[in-house]
Formats: sequence, C-alpha cells, structure tokens
Amino acid sequence: MVVFVSVTSCVSVKEYNRVYLNDADMALKAGLCERFETTYHIYREAAAGANGGKTGGGCGCN
Amino acid sequence: MEEKQVEVVVVIKKITLILLMSFGFVSFAQKDTLKSYKKKVLETVEVDMLLGFYTQKGTHASVTGGIGNEDLQNIAPTVVIKIPLNEDDVLTADFGFSAYTSASSSNGNPFNTGASTGEDREYSGGDGSGSGGQGPKGSPWVASSGASRKDVLTALSLSYVHATDDRNRYWSSNIGSSYEYDYKSFGFGGGVTQLWNEKNTELSIKAQVYLDQWIPIIPTEIDEYEQFGSDFLIDNQSYFSGVSVLNSNGASVAEYLPSKFTPIDNVNRNSYSFSLGFSQILTHRMQFSIALDLVKQEGWLANPLQRVYFSDKSNYYVGNANNISNYENPSNTDVFHLADDIERLPSTRLKYPLGMRLNYYVNEYLVIRSYFRKYLDDWGVDSNTFQVELPVKFNMSWKITPSFRYFDQTAADYFAPYNQHLSTQDYYTSDYDLSAFSNYQVGGEFVFTDVLSKYGVWKLSLKRIGLRVQNYQRSDGLSAFSISTNFSFVLD
Repeated sequence: MVVFVSVTSCVSVKEYNRVYLNDADMALKAGLCERFETTYHIYREAAAGANGGKTGGGCGCN
Repeated sequence: MEEKQVEVVVVIKKITLILLMSFGFVSFAQKDTLKSYKKKVLETVEVDMLLGFYTQKGTHASVTGGIGNEDLQNIAPTVVIKIPLNEDDVLTADFGFSAYTSASSSNGNPFNTGASTGEDREYSGGDGSGSGGQGPKGSPWVASSGASRKDVLTALSLSYVHATDDRNRYWSSNIGSSYEYDYKSFGFGGGVTQLWNEKNTELSIKAQVYLDQWIPIIPTEIDEYEQFGSDFLIDNQSYFSGVSVLNSNGASVAEYLPSKFTPIDNVNRNSYSFSLGFSQILTHRMQFSIALDLVKQEGWLANPLQRVYFSDKSNYYVGNANNISNYENPSNTDVFHLADDIERLPSTRLKYPLGMRLNYYVNEYLVIRSYFRKYLDDWGVDSNTFQVELPVKFNMSWKITPSFRYFDQTAADYFAPYNQHLSTQDYYTSDYDLSAFSNYQVGGEFVFTDVLSKYGVWKLSLKRIGLRVQNYQRSDGLSAFSISTNFSFVLD
C-alpha cells in the first residue's frame, strides 16, 4: 500500500512527454507471437496465469 | 459482393449486440453518442495471421505412467481480426486450429501390432504363447497407430471493448469455445480498466469462467475392465480374449485385475478466475505492472488417458516375455506393462499466481523488458518464472529481440515416478509436468516493419512480419523447439 500511494502520488508524466513510453516494445504485455509459447508453457508446466494468458480452459491446463 | 458485405456487417452488429446485452453495457454505449470529434480507439481493421510450430522430445510419457516416448509435434494456424465498430468500440475475433501428433497419447491403445488399429476393437486374440509371437505387442517407447495419436483442436473467441469518451475507462467482455476429440471448453468473462492520474496509473479487474467437459478416453486395458468386469481376460467380446498376460517372470497368468479403477463420475472441469491488475508510469522511460490471479478449478482435474502403476501390486505385461527385464530401456519395442489405474487428482485446486513486469527504454536502439512470476497452489506446487527480452532496433524497419526465460517448480504432492505409487493412496499421478524441475528457454524474434508498405492481399496492406524462434530445455530431459510467424495487415 505504501508503494502504491507513493508511486501514484508523486509521478505524473504528461502525455506529450511519453514518446519513449509509447514505443511498442514498452507495452506491459506479451507480444502476439508469444501466445504459442504461453500455450506450451501451460501444458508443460504446473504453473500458469498472471501473464495475460489463459487461466483455465483446455485439457492441458493443469 | 455488396450484399455479402451487408450480411457480414449485419452479423457483426448482431454479435456485438449479444455481447453488450450479456454483460449489461448497453447503457454505456448509449451515453457515448457524442457528435464531437473523438480519436478512434482503433483507426482501422487489423488482421494478424499467425502460424506456430512446436516439437518436443522426452522420455517421461504420462500416458504410459511416467516412462516412454514423449515425441510430439504441433502446428497451429490462427487468425486475429480487430474491427473498430465506431470511435469507442472494438470487436476482436480470434479463430484457430491446433493439430498435433503425439507418441504418448498414441499409447492410449499401445497394441498396434496384429489386426489392431487403435481405439477400434478389431483385434481378436494372440497366439497364447506367452513369449511374443504374433500376439499384440506394444511399448511405451514406440508410437502406436492408435486413434489418439493425433487430434485437432478448433477454437473461436470473440471479445468486445468499449471506451468511455475521456478514454479513462474501458469495459471488456469475451466469449469463446474450443473443441477437440476428448475435450470441449466454453468460456466467458468480463472486466473493467480505470485510468487516472493523467493516465499515469491504471487499475483493472477481470473475471473469467471456463465450463469444460471431458469426453473421456481411457487406456485400453482399463476400458476393457470397465466394460467386461473381472472376466475381461476371458470374455469372447473383450479385446484381451485369448491374449497371454504375463507376470514379471514371463509366465502366462490370468491374475491381472485393475481393481482400484472406478469409473469417472464427473466429466466436468470448471475454472473460475478473478484477476487484479495495476500498472504505473515511473519515469518518462520506465513503467511497471503487477497482476494477481486467483483461480479455482473444480471437477475432473486428472487426465483419464494417463496410466499409473503401483509398487505394492504385481506387474503384468502383454508382449515379448524376453523383454520384460528390459522394460524401462528405450530398446524395448515389444512388451507393455498393463496399468493398475488411471491418474487421480483432487476435485478442486486453488492457484495464486502473482506476476510483475518492468520495462525500461534505454535509448532509441534498446529497450529492456522484464517479467517475474511467483506461483503457489494448494497441490504443493511452488514456482518462479523470470524472463528478460532485449529488443534491439537497427533502424526504423529491422529489429531483433533476444530473450531468456528461466522457470522452476516444486512437485505436486501427488506426483511419483513410474511404478512408485502405493495403491493405498487416494490421489496419484506420474505426469512429469507435475514433477519438480527447472528449465530455461533461449531464443529470439526478428521483426520487419514497413508502415508505408504497398504489399498486401485484397485491401489489406502488410505492415509487419515477425519470426520468433525458441529453444526449451527441461532438467528432466525434455527438450522442445518452437517457431512462430506473424503477418500483420491493416485495411487500407
């Protein structure tokens, strides 16, 4: 909560100053091509979720 | 041609209306009919055509109880279409196939010699010699010609996003379904994302439900036991009628009885997840996000096709008696260990994954992308994932992104290797995906971008080509390789 309050209260980057943040590689999500890896990770590993991928559905989802 | 386009538009509108009504967003859509200019959430139709290929090799096949050939190949073509319905609303359709061939799955029925052709019941008996001959033979190390050696998954999903006029709030909903030979899945969900602090801060909440169902396929010897009961070795209609079942010494006996097996009483597998996301701009070069998923699964969480062997029960085989002592060696091609039971796991599972991303823009040539996940569940699995990607731009068009991923996990409480479970246990699996291991994955992605490109198909212009290659090495010996491509088009 302390981290949450501190980061939200003291940082404000204006929209016109976000040329770096708007770079496609700065997106806070996996790339489209990564979906196939996410799928086989779900099948081959017991852990899943919290990465934008599926959290259930499909017989390989442990 | 125009009539077809009109029909397509009508269908799209109907689907959109259904999604809106399903999640009660009609009121939001009606409020946002401002006449003033608004920048569109999505400017034009975008089409992504993806193709993924995956291959693996390993020696711990789960269908044959934790040992055996794990060779698998998968190819998955997918199309993703994003359609702006107006300034505020975007509909995304995601359609794909996933076709695989698997040595492990093929051994649901491993007895591919003689007249047997898989899940059918053509085999009518062996020679009874107890030492091989012309009777049925199989091996966990050899892929069978059984019907379960291959399958095609078909999946379709639709998602809808609505943005408010100030673009500070996004409502989303989705619905989807997939089908394969022994499994079908139906899912739906919805969520909301709120931005504030001049869009420096973002909070999202999402709920998702999957209502899945097994169409159970169980190992041949268990299936025969289920159908014919304790007489399945002598019943004339049984697959095993006239077949020699061997004990560990190679002698023909009539004692094999997988009596621990009980029929699957619930074919449903449902998943309910609640996701909380938070992201924050830290500086004009750095931002991060945190995602927490709470997932509950219930129903038949084991795989009915996967065998389990008990160390406190006698072992029984079909095939070449001379190779029984060599059973766990890949050189065994003609003797098969009959199962004691199928995999059994608890009917509920709670998962708690927590993921974090931190991205840093170094300069116009380099970005650092990082991801970490901590995962816990009530089956005893404790896992860590770390990934770093380094997109390097050579110029406006060419980019290469080397990547490295590390993963480790502890074993589920119910895992034991081949032939090490006890028949007194309630739950058991020899699926090495639930064992303790670590792995690393190394690879890269090449991307070519040309926003002014004149190449295209029909009215679609090709803007981006991606090629991603990954090598995956697991500490239990499983190795995999994947290659995927992405062609991104926009509608002129």
